[in-house]
Amino acid sequence: MILQPAVLALLLIALLVAGMGIYAGFYGMRILSRWDPTSGSEGQLELERRTYLISTIMSYILSFELMSLFLFIYTADDIHILFTGAMCAAGTLAVNSFGYPALLLKMVNFLLAGVWLIVNYVDNKGYDYPLIKTKYELLNVVVVLLVQESVLLLAYFSGVKPDVITSCCGSLFSHESTNLSGDLASLPHLPMQIAFFTGMAATAVSGIIFYLRGRIGYLFSLAATATFLIAATSVVSFICLYFYELPTHHCPFCLLQKEYGFIGYVLYATLFSGAVAGIGTGVLMPFRKIGSLIRIIPAIQRRLTLVTLIFYLLFTLIVSWKMVFSALKLG
Amino acid sequence: MKRTVERHLNILEFTLASLLRRRAKNLSLLAMYLLVIFMLASLQFFVTALKREAALILTDAPDMVVQRLTAGRQDLVPDRYGADIARIKGVTAVRPRLWGYYYDALNGANYTIMASDDTAAPPGAAIGAAIAKARNLQIGDLLPLISYDKSPVMLEIGSIFPSSSDLIAADLIVLSPADFQQLFNFPGGQATDLAVTVRNPKELPTVAAKIASQFPDSRPILKSEIQRTYQSIFDWRGGMTLIVLASALLSFIIFAWDKATGLSAEERKEIGILKSIGWETSDVLLLKFWEGLVISLTAFLLGVVLAYGHVFFLSAPLFAQALKGWSVIYPRFQLVPVVNAYQLAVLFFLTVVPYTTATVIPCWRAATIDPDAAMRY
Amino acid sequence: MIELSGITKSFNSGKPNQFTAVDNVSLTINPQQITVLKGPSGSGKTSLLTMIGCMARPTSGRIFLHGVAAAVPFQQEGVDSVEITSLPERFLNDIRRSTFGFIFQQFNLVKGISVLENVMLPAYPTGERRSDFRDRALDLLEQFSISRHAGQRIELLSGGELQRVAIARALINNPAIIIADEPTAHLDSKLSQEFMAIVGRMKGEGKSVLIASHDPIVFDSPLIDRLVEMRDGAVVNSGSPR
Repeated sequence: MILQPAVLALLLIALLVAGMGIYAGFYGMRILSRWDPTSGSEGQLELERRTYLISTIMSYILSFELMSLFLFIYTADDIHILFTGAMCAAGTLAVNSFGYPALLLKMVNFLLAGVWLIVNYVDNKGYDYPLIKTKYELLNVVVVLLVQESVLLLAYFSGVKPDVITSCCGSLFSHESTNLSGDLASLPHLPMQIAFFTGMAATAVSGIIFYLRGRIGYLFSLAATATFLIAATSVVSFICLYFYELPTHHCPFCLLQKEYGFIGYVLYATLFSGAVAGIGTGVLMPFRKIGSLIRIIPAIQRRLTLVTLIFYLLFTLIVSWKMVFSALKLG
Repeated sequence: MKRTVERHLNILEFTLASLLRRRAKNLSLLAMYLLVIFMLASLQFFVTALKREAALILTDAPDMVVQRLTAGRQDLVPDRYGADIARIKGVTAVRPRLWGYYYDALNGANYTIMASDDTAAPPGAAIGAAIAKARNLQIGDLLPLISYDKSPVMLEIGSIFPSSSDLIAADLIVLSPADFQQLFNFPGGQATDLAVTVRNPKELPTVAAKIASQFPDSRPILKSEIQRTYQSIFDWRGGMTLIVLASALLSFIIFAWDKATGLSAEERKEIGILKSIGWETSDVLLLKFWEGLVISLTAFLLGVVLAYGHVFFLSAPLFAQALKGWSVIYPRFQLVPVVNAYQLAVLFFLTVVPYTTATVIPCWRAATIDPDAAMRY
Repeated sequence: MIELSGITKSFNSGKPNQFTAVDNVSLTINPQQITVLKGPSGSGKTSLLTMIGCMARPTSGRIFLHGVAAAVPFQQEGVDSVEITSLPERFLNDIRRSTFGFIFQQFNLVKGISVLENVMLPAYPTGERRSDFRDRALDLLEQFSISRHAGQRIELLSGGELQRVAIARALINNPAIIIADEPTAHLDSKLSQEFMAIVGRMKGEGKSVLIASHDPIVFDSPLIDRLVEMRDGAVVNSGSPR
């Protein structure tokens, strides 16, 4: 175990988030079993009061998850010097088999928490708690994943000892490497570029159609989600090459460094925000016909669509700019 | 959107006014909060500054140092080893180093003695500022040291290292190889260790492996290993101190929770009134959120600023003992300020986040006070 | 118009100290009239007022608000009446903020802040521009002749002045219905008469007023349109006094 303050901070957060999550989940289950909005009994009033607490907790969890995601990457980067062969965060995370799963789960939880808050917001706009069951069932899923993430994080940090030889991002994200990250890196450039731009275009077109006509909402959401995955893969596959101006440097974490103008933050922020909004739009689709939400959901979905369109556009523009003006030219 | 902003601003204004109205309670909370942040920030700044110093020092250290072990303890390295190592492919230079420790019975301190045949340096020995101070020496004075055969070795002080180099040179004496050998009765043709330079840094582990196989009694040490070790030690020490402070942090959290839960009758009535005149639960939650944020940010800002002053102007008198180690002569060094967003983020996570978490439930309880209560005085 | 149907409010249901404040009350409150709830303390007047005023939920029964749909920010299935009993708190609150103004027995003004701020408080969370409701607040203070106290702390005001501040606060969001709970309990006869005069003016402006009181100056006043008598949580007489 590395007893560094940053590591202790991360573990503390993980503990707090898991704790709050379990608390929220506990009351969520209670709400699921005893909810009766037509009753004016004290029990029901108490449950309604609890919903405020759960919303507040989830908002905090979302912001903590976001901050700790970046703190995690930064810390991994900071302690890379303790491990032979690690040049940046990528190497640190590879020290044991819990590092990358913890990171991935953190990202997933951030997306899920974001989607939950969107559903919560919509539910609050309806005058008869229309989405309450869905909301708290989703909450249970999120809570389980949050606890799992905390366990992974704990497992990762307790299994980390200095001086362990690990792969540096050079060998981790290199073409010859036979693990997943190596596979991602060795994907041929041209097909990935085509996939990336196609995905973005599909999202844009379906988004505009949805925004103007209110149709193919599911398609748009699907496109947005798929594009998110393609874009994330593309970052490793070819995007970061243009930023590093090196055909072999595939590490997605070095983009967050000062040398590259912290551009990684902008890229990941736009991508993730766009993804949350896009996924949220899809999640809301089945509820469009509910009486109290008939006017509300379409309006909110349009706003979310706009968010996705704008952020994905920003992402694409930055990437395209770099592709055109980078010193590196890929075949 | 405009309405949301207006709502936030109006409620924020009310929050500030109400914080000022309950000055005593909020000041005591702020003071404790400030103290905790101050301690943690001081620790953080101090450790980071030390780490940075150590890293800086190591930049000029040789990439590899080869020692020789006899029965597990460090022994002298014959020059012959150096000649053989210089022939290994990839090695560009091998420099035998002469250095050791000298115990000064007069003040119980250990000096580091190094031999240097740098003819460009001024003649005479160079000593660290701390030694000059401890033995009351100036340039031109004579420093008597006792050699191993009880005869004195008189060193003429040619120069004194500036105190800005105190971290590495406070207890250092640099003298000529001849003086070194006389002082320690050092055998000729031997060195304390060998500094090895390699053409391609990536080859270091390979070369080290070759040296180790060619000379089984040698111990090659890489600079990167030293860096790791230093980093580890600082981290570990920082972490240990943090754990000690954890109890302080915990007390503060309990204190904060208690303050948040213990609403006075006055406060309870006020919230009841707000609810009864049209403030909704989420409005009162927003009020409480702003309260927490204002207090947290104020404490954070002040705590960090005070810590900065404590560490970088006063050299952290509160922590120095625990973190610098145990010695008789202390370098009187000023730490170079190192503050970055990462440090502040860690601080934030260790203080503001637990505080916020602890106050979530009490704030919610306050916000869900029944307006009914206000109607019934 | 406010329609109550089978309203019951009980506390500690199922426990030995169960207490029923309002027992199966069905009532219609007409718009633009002054209605007085008369009865001794403990008769359930206050509980009934809190439920009508969207401040509390009945344990059972239904409350309908007719003709207030225009003030309601959401749409409920094409009718201009709203059933408020199962609404979530935030919707109830929206209705309350825009439709009702409250005057409490103890005035319930916030200590430590000025008269003007007290009057403006209900408007803070609405998101309205501060300058707008500030002007309205100053107008109201002017209307009730207490402008000179605008910047003073409420601790320094007399009973009558406090009453007028409370009324001004109740009017800040331009509500259609004013609810007053024992408004004259701490006032002498002269001030009580003044209060009723103000109430008459409000009716003249098209507002509905609902007052709970056991003060004869209130329920014997010639200005009121309807008297509802309550006892032990039930309505015993809901006739019109004229």
